[in-house]
Parts: sequence; C-alpha cells; structure tokens
Amino acid sequence: MGSIFKLSFFRLTAFVIVTAFEENSLNWFDSRFILMEQEVIESEMILPTNLSFKKIQMHEKYPKGQARGRHWKHLKQIIQAENYQNYPADEPNYVNIESPPSMHPRKQICDITGFEAPYSDPRTHLRYANTEVFKLIRSLPNEYVQRYLALRNAAVVLK
Amino acid sequence: MPFISRTQRQTDYNLIPPSCPIVIDNGASYFRIGWAGESEPRIIFRNIVQRPRHKITGETVTIVGDHDPMLLKYFDCTRSGPRSAFDNDVVFQFEIMEYILDFAFDRLGADEAPINHPILITECACNPVHSRSKMAELLFETYGVPSIAFGVDAAFSYKYNQQLGICDRNGLAICSGFTTSHVIPFINGEPVYEACCRTNVGGYHVTDYLKQLLSLKYPHHMQRLTWEKVEDLKMEHCYITLDYASEVRLFQKGAKEAEEKTRCWQLPWTPTPVEEPPSEEEIARKTALKERQGQRLREMAEAKRSSKINELENELKGLEFLIQQLRHVNGNDIPSFLAETGYVSKQEIESAIVKVTQSLRKAKGEQDEIEEKPEISNSEKYTLIDIPDNMLTPEQVKEKKRQLFLKTTSEGRQRAKQKRFEEELERERRNKEDEQRRLENPELYMEQLLVKYKDLSEKVEQRKRLKTNGNNGNENVSGGVGRGERLNAAQKERMRLLTTAAFDRGKGEDTFGIKDEDWQLYKKMSKDNDDEDEGPNEDEAELARVASKLREIDPTFFPKSDASSSGTEPPRFRPLRKEDFQILIGVERFRCPEILFHPNLIGIEQAGLDEMAGVSIQRLQSKSQSLEDSNGLTNSILITGGSCLYPGMSERLEAGIRMIRPCGTPIRVLRASDAVLDAWLGAASFASTMHFQRQVFNKTDYYEKGEDWLRRYQLKYSF
Repeated sequence: MGSIFKLSFFRLTAFVIVTAFEENSLNWFDSRFILMEQEVIESEMILPTNLSFKKIQMHEKYPKGQARGRHWKHLKQIIQAENYQNYPADEPNYVNIESPPSMHPRKQICDITGFEAPYSDPRTHLRYANTEVFKLIRSLPNEYVQRYLALRNAAVVLK
Repeated sequence: MPFISRTQRQTDYNLIPPSCPIVIDNGASYFRIGWAGESEPRIIFRNIVQRPRHKITGETVTIVGDHDPMLLKYFDCTRSGPRSAFDNDVVFQFEIMEYILDFAFDRLGADEAPINHPILITECACNPVHSRSKMAELLFETYGVPSIAFGVDAAFSYKYNQQLGICDRNGLAICSGFTTSHVIPFINGEPVYEACCRTNVGGYHVTDYLKQLLSLKYPHHMQRLTWEKVEDLKMEHCYITLDYASEVRLFQKGAKEAEEKTRCWQLPWTPTPVEEPPSEEEIARKTALKERQGQRLREMAEAKRSSKINELENELKGLEFLIQQLRHVNGNDIPSFLAETGYVSKQEIESAIVKVTQSLRKAKGEQDEIEEKPEISNSEKYTLIDIPDNMLTPEQVKEKKRQLFLKTTSEGRQRAKQKRFEEELERERRNKEDEQRRLENPELYMEQLLVKYKDLSEKVEQRKRLKTNGNNGNENVSGGVGRGERLNAAQKERMRLLTTAAFDRGKGEDTFGIKDEDWQLYKKMSKDNDDEDEGPNEDEAELARVASKLREIDPTFFPKSDASSSGTEPPRFRPLRKEDFQILIGVERFRCPEILFHPNLIGIEQAGLDEMAGVSIQRLQSKSQSLEDSNGLTNSILITGGSCLYPGMSERLEAGIRMIRPCGTPIRVLRASDAVLDAWLGAASFASTMHFQRQVFNKTDYYEKGEDWLRRYQLKYSF
C-alpha cells in the first residue's frame, strides 16, 4: 500500500517537472537540431529527446553526468539472484530447461579447412587433415593459432 | 533474402480504439510492433541502439535500429558500437530497452500521454522474474500502459501454425532464434515447459563463426567482412547437408561437384595501369632536363668556389700588407699598433698567413699538398725510434713511444690496403674464370649453379625455420622455459647457462651476483646469439649472388622465395591479380550451420538440435508417464525461427531424429508458414481473441500480488 502511495506522489511531481522542463527546453533542443545536417534531420533517424507520450523522459531518469554505463545485472547475476534452489526442482525455470551436454561422439574437423581431421598437432593443439595443412599450421604465427583455437573455445586465456 | 526494416511513421494511431491491444515481438534480432488482428507488423527494425556523438555539435544522440550507413558519417562512431538490450535471450539492459520502446511507440504514431492500449509482449521461455518485473515496471511507470500480458514467441508461432492446419494439437516446436534454440513439446495445444529444452546456439553464432573463418583465411580483406555483409552471405549461400562427412570428402578429393558448390565473391578491383615505356621524345627531353640541372649545379659550385678563393686572396693580401707595415714600425710600438688590427704578435700573423695560404691552395684544388704530408711525417717519425732509450730524456722517450705507435698504425693501414687490393685482384680473376667457363660450356655451368643454389637455399631455409620455430615456441609459452626441441642452439645454450648458474649455489640460497664474475654469464649469452646471427648472413649473401647470376643466364629461373611464401601474405614482387580479390566460400557454406547440430564445434558443450528433440521427449516421458502421446509428438514437428531457413534443414532434422527414436515412429518435419514473422502473427491473432482480455494483468494487480505471483504467471494459449 505504502509503495503505491509513494509512487503516485512521485508521478505527480514528475508530471509537474516534465511540463516545466518542456516549456523551457523545447527551444534549447530545437536550436541544437538546427545545427545538424539537413539530410540527417530529414531521415529522422535520431531519437527525439522529449517524447509526448512518456511520463518521465530519459534525461530525467538518467541525468547527465552520472555514469551512463549503469550497472544493470547481467544474466549470470540475474540467475544467481533468482535463488532457484529455494523452489521445487521440477518447476521449470531458466536454468532447468538448459540442454545437457551432447551424448553423440564428438565431431572432429580440421580447424583450417573443415575436412575430417583424425590428427592433432601436439605443439599447438590444432586439428589438421593432411600434411599440407600441417605445413601450413607450422608456419602460422602465434596470433593466428590462438584465433583458430578461440573458434573452438580452446585458446589459452591468461587472466 | 535479407530482412528489410520498416520504420515509416504511422499516422492512424488516434483512429484506433483504446481497447485494441498493441502486439510486440521483442526478439534478439528484430523488434516487431503492430496492432492486434492485423496481418503484418507495422514497424520492424533491428533491436540495437547506438549512441554516437555528432562531430560538429558534439552532443550525444541516440539512434535506434539500423540506418543508412551513409548518414552515419556525420557522427563519430568510434566509441559507440551497436548495443543490444539482450544477454543471451533475456532482456537485462532496460535503459536500452527504453530507447527501443521510445522509438517504436514514436513510429507507431503515439503522441499523447499515456499509451492507452493493452500490450502483449513476447519473452523467452521461462524468463527470470527479475527481467519480467523490470519490463512490467518500465511499461507501467514510464508509458502508463493499462495492462500487460507476457507470452513465449515459440508458443505463439506453434499456435498460429496450428490454426493454419500445418501442425497438430500434439507436437514439437523447434524454434531456432538469434542467440538460442528451443525445443518445446505441446500437449493438447499447451506448451509443456517442464520438458522444454534450450541450447545457447543461434544465428548469431553461425554468422560469427563464418566471419572468423573468412577473416582468418583472408586477412587483407578484413575490412570488407563486416557483420552485416557476412550475415548477407550467410543467408544467401549457407546450407545444411544431410551428411557432413561425405560432403566434406567431395571437397577433399577436389571433385567437380565441389568446384560447382564453391561460390566466389569478386571484390571490386581495378588493375594497376600498365606504364607504357616512355617514348623516345620523353627520354630525350628528360635527359636534356637532367643535363641542364647538372650544369646549373656545377655553375653554382664554381661560383661559390671562385668567390671563396677571392675572399682568401684578399685576406692573404691584407695580412701581407700588415707584415710589411710591421717592418716599418718601431719594435716598441708593435703591441699598440697590433691592438687595432686584432692580432697580438708577429707570430700570430705569420701563422694566420700560413693557414690562409693552405686553405687557398686547397680551394684551388691542389691535391699534392695532402699527399706530401704522410711522407713527410713518415720521415719525421722515425727519427727517434732508432735511438735507444737510455740516451733520451723522459720527454723524448714519450715522443719516441708516440712515434712508434704512429708507425705501427700506419703500417697496419698500409697492410690492410694491400690486402684489399689483393682481394680485388682475386675476385676479378675469379669472375674472369667464371665467364670463361660459362662461355665454354653454358649448360654444365648452369647445372652447377642450380645445384649450388638449391643447397644454399635449403640451408638458409632450415636456419630460418629453426629460428622462427624457436621464436614461435618462445611466444607460445610466456617467458623462457620451453621444451628442448623448440629452442635453437643459442637459446638452448642460454637456458643451460641460466639453470646451471641457478643450481650452482648452496641449498635454498640464491647467492648469484655476490661475486662479480657471475655477471660475466650474461656476456657469454649475448655473444652466443651474435655468433648465430652472423653465419646465415654469409649464406644469404652467397645465395643472393648465385640467384642474380642465374637470373641473368636462365630466363626460366624463378627464385624459390616466390614459390614457397606462405598463404598468409602475398609476395610483394608480383603485381596484384584479379584472384587476390576473390573470396572463395566452399566448405564454409555447410560448415557454419553445422554448429546448430554440433555446438561443440565452437566449444559449447551442449546438445545439438536433433539431440535436443530426443532430450525433450525423454523429459516429457519422465514427467507425464504416457507413452502414446510422446510417440505421436514426432508426427508433427514444426520448425520456426529465423535460423531455420537454411536449405536442407528439414531433411537433416528428420534423419537426426530418426536416429534417436525407436524404429518405425512416424516422423514429419513441417516448416512454419513464415518462420520469421510467425511469432508476431500468432501473438496478434491471440490478442484479438476474447481470451486475451482475461489473461492480462494491470498495474494494481502487479503491485498487490507481488513477485511470487508474477513468477507463476503463464499465458494459456488454447481456449
């Protein structure tokens, strides 16, 4: 109950602020737009800063000067905060429905060409299909080796 | 067929009654919004936001969706890449979501506050409550929406196709989206989320894989391979094969079908204009010009020299005049007389005269003066050397030592000159011999040269390989510790020295460095490296000489360096040809979509699409324990989602599922009528039914019932 009251109050004040702001700032924004190129304005690709159907405008919600890269929770943090272990395990939730690891035999293809690769290079851990590819692998600079391995998520990541 | 965005501002917002719901399909790739009951969404755009700075005014603006890249040149886009509100398939960045909704509502034509229509918005399966509640809050608070309903896009798609008669009430929906792929079974028209299955592989991963593979294969065309271009390539050329192994064998053998299947993308390329050999007039004109310039320079030099000579002569005359005057002047008056002129004594004037005469002679170009000097000094030097020590004063002894030193050095210099002269003679002789041999027997000579070239080139290559392998090995493992076979001789030596130095000392204590001799270690190490570097240089010089001789004689000889250059860099010697600007896509065409079925090709340890279907059915069986239903499921498998539009997808899925299910079960794979838009169409048709009104929740509900209720909120799709 209390939260609703607070919210409506906030909305009222926000409304007042919005109208005041609009009157003052419309001219300010207009003049800035005039400085932009004609075709940019015509194409209307820029989002206007004040939208009539919004109750709270963006620049009020996220005032300039504060760190724009707000700390929104990433998926991992969201999942952790969900506390799925407190709920019964057979209820489907985001984590439950994930696929298990594959039971099929792993497909091994050459990292460079895509052919079937029965061999792997002990030095760089790349897979290769035949001797020409092997020659190529041995002549690759380290940067490329790491990028090929990164395709397979097998690169050495130094943290 | 690339998707086209539609962002025309709609004008009929005010004409639509407030009871008509707005239907939003919030997908990770595209955002679609429209009115319920219509046959297509009004606005479609890519679900990304960019915030670049305007170059001139300096303010930061927001651009939603994809726009004409030509217009973006007015903005500084270096620090602002396109950002998405999604992480996997869950919305987490609500600031970006707000920009997107702003844009969408604005283009839909909304202009009065608040948005007075109920909203049906799609989300992923089993969306976390945090994301759901934040989305509800955003819509209620900022836009003033009266009521909201959440639904799963795959379910809407299935229901729509069920209405169209494509699939049955019981079936399986395989939805392959931008970042994830879901498999959801349907029993009696309702999705069974307990048996749902999700793999985190989607169209984004396929495009990314293709982009990386092409960038690695063609590093110089990396700027051309932008994300959008690669996505176009993927949509146009990629397909899924029934059996990867057999298809790839075709390419390995180099069969003709493989040639046909390889697509070639020719980048725009202009051949370098061939320089015509300059005509005779041109040559004559140029030489005349050069001559004129040379002459001009020579004249200038002459003028300078003559002016310098004049100056010196004047000075000399002045000084001689002074001396003459001095003779006339009295001895006592000399200092005062000289004070005016700036010289202190007669000797100074005389020495000045000598200097000036010398420089004058030099300017006039008399070379004999210089050559006389060493001979004079030679005869001077040896005066003291022959006299034994005890007969000289200490000063004279010092003088004698100096003369001795000078004599030895000059003798050494002469000897070196002699040696050089002899070497020149020797080389001349050898060249003459070579020429003779060549003239006598050209073929034999050429063969011998070729053999020598081959040997030398092998040696050089081997050393180069050793070096680069050593370097590669050292880069791979940070630091110096490596395996023995990788290091070349110098580095092995260095390792050995360091380790022996470390182990030589007492137990547990590192006393290296207390004695000064310890540091000599490093001198030894660097010397070794130097020795290594000098050797190959000789060989390489020899190699170059032989190569040049061969090139002279034999018109068909090409130095080996051109042939053996590795594929990563084209040799800079030959002109760029049309083929350098072609990008060939052969194996990648079916290698990239393969990751949908084998995610471990890109390192994601999850099941592929066909296996997911099996997992889903298994989960269903364990939940509901009724086998007949599950058997009937495979009779109606619907594939939707943008990532299922590859040719060959249905056949592959069928084959894959047949492998898992018991023999004889009916398997029917059905394609959705419009894989991309079906989710929105299903949602729109759902929202236009009476059923929808009972399923929405409004703001008071949301705040009263709390988060727990929201978690359990699920849409019911059938009537």
